Amino acid sequence: MRVTLFDYGAGNLHSLAKALATVPGAEVRVQEDPVRSLDTDVLVLPGVGAFGAAVARLEPGREAMRAALEQGLPCLGICLGMQLLFEGSDEGEGAGLGYFAGRVTRLAAKRVPEIGWNQVEDERTLAGARLDTVYYAHSLACRAADASVVTGWTTHEADRFPAAVRRGRVVGVQFHPEKSSTAGVRFVQAFLREVAP
Amino acid sequence: MLTRRLVVCLDVKGGRVVKGVQFEGLRDVGDPVELARRYEAEGADELTFLDISASAEERDTLWELVRRTAEQLFIPLAVGGGVRTVDDVGRALRAGADKVSINSAAVANPALLTACAERFGAQCVVASIDAKRDGERWRVYTHGGRKPTDLDAVVWARECVARGAGEVLLTSIDRDGARTGYDLALTRAVSEAVDVPVIASGGAGSAAHVRDAFQEGGADAALVAGILHDGLTTVGAIKAVLREGGLHIRSVA
Repeated sequence: MRVTLFDYGAGNLHSLAKALATVPGAEVRVQEDPVRSLDTDVLVLPGVGAFGAAVARLEPGREAMRAALEQGLPCLGICLGMQLLFEGSDEGEGAGLGYFAGRVTRLAAKRVPEIGWNQVEDERTLAGARLDTVYYAHSLACRAADASVVTGWTTHEADRFPAAVRRGRVVGVQFHPEKSSTAGVRFVQAFLREVAP
Repeated sequence: MLTRRLVVCLDVKGGRVVKGVQFEGLRDVGDPVELARRYEAEGADELTFLDISASAEERDTLWELVRRTAEQLFIPLAVGGGVRTVDDVGRALRAGADKVSINSAAVANPALLTACAERFGAQCVVASIDAKRDGERWRVYTHGGRKPTDLDAVVWARECVARGAGEVLLTSIDRDGARTGYDLALTRAVSEAVDVPVIASGGAGSAAHVRDAFQEGGADAALVAGILHDGLTTVGAIKAVLREGGLHIRSVA
């Protein structure tokens, strides 16, 4: 199974690549070209950076990537990678993939960025890995227009935001599974086993 | 609701974990990757490498060490010590660090915090502040606690955050290594002054001290080093005390 990390200059991909590679048969590669990143069995949008810079890198392949996701290419978007699946963001100019309806807006809280471990409530993203406490490092959250795509919620101060979204074979998570210890690694493994085969 | 975090700090030099023995020398205490994995398994919420390398040659081994660790560690990893430029921060992040703490270089050039936050995001910029009690206030020191500055720790913490720091690592020089408990008044003063997480550091001698840093100091996270490395207590034992104290913490499944 070819698993491709689209590298839009996000930097640290080591832990994520290693977490994905723990699944037998997963062949993990990193691709900087958005169009070529679609020549894969599974696409992963990793999670560090700024929205504006990331969509600029994504732009040449945006339509092709959106079409591929609509046609069933399994995809896991993490943190900023999840935000790229939405229409746009308060953080920067440019259009996201628009696979999920809704915008990305700043957390409505006193303590921003939210940094640390927080609970996921009403979680039902994957059958093989239930989430409890996971690691967050973010200032913005995805306001899904259709609440039925939200498969888990987290509350920071008074702001309840989507921890995870899923439609078809595309999953987005606001937390960092690759930094959420054993439970997070299990989540990544379950994604590859359940959504991607 | 965010849990309170227990951060384990390892001193590294030349790619190894070291420990000072009565200021007279450094003892090699093990392989960083192995120790990092062990602390993750025990329930540490985060790990920090404090690089105490004296030479550029020794420092170069840090990035390779960070890379090897990040490939096997699935909790956040912070790196501090000797970070001077935006490029240093970029190098640390590319190697696999999630956060970088900046201390003396931020005092010398506060704009560095802003430059790093703009380029890499506030979530990876940690302002590291070493403070020492001076009458009713706390004075900021740099260069490993050797050089006094004119800065007041609370005021400086506020400025660091205004300039882009996403967290504050607050070390009490008076308590560092003393094992008499964190400086709770200092921790509380800074926690109340800023809207980003404050990591209390310096002085942990027991699990109860960690609990006090949270309950009385208002810290979001507490840094622990010596008492774990010396086997005086364990991550699990500290977390048990925190849980009994009614604190919200992460349990290890």
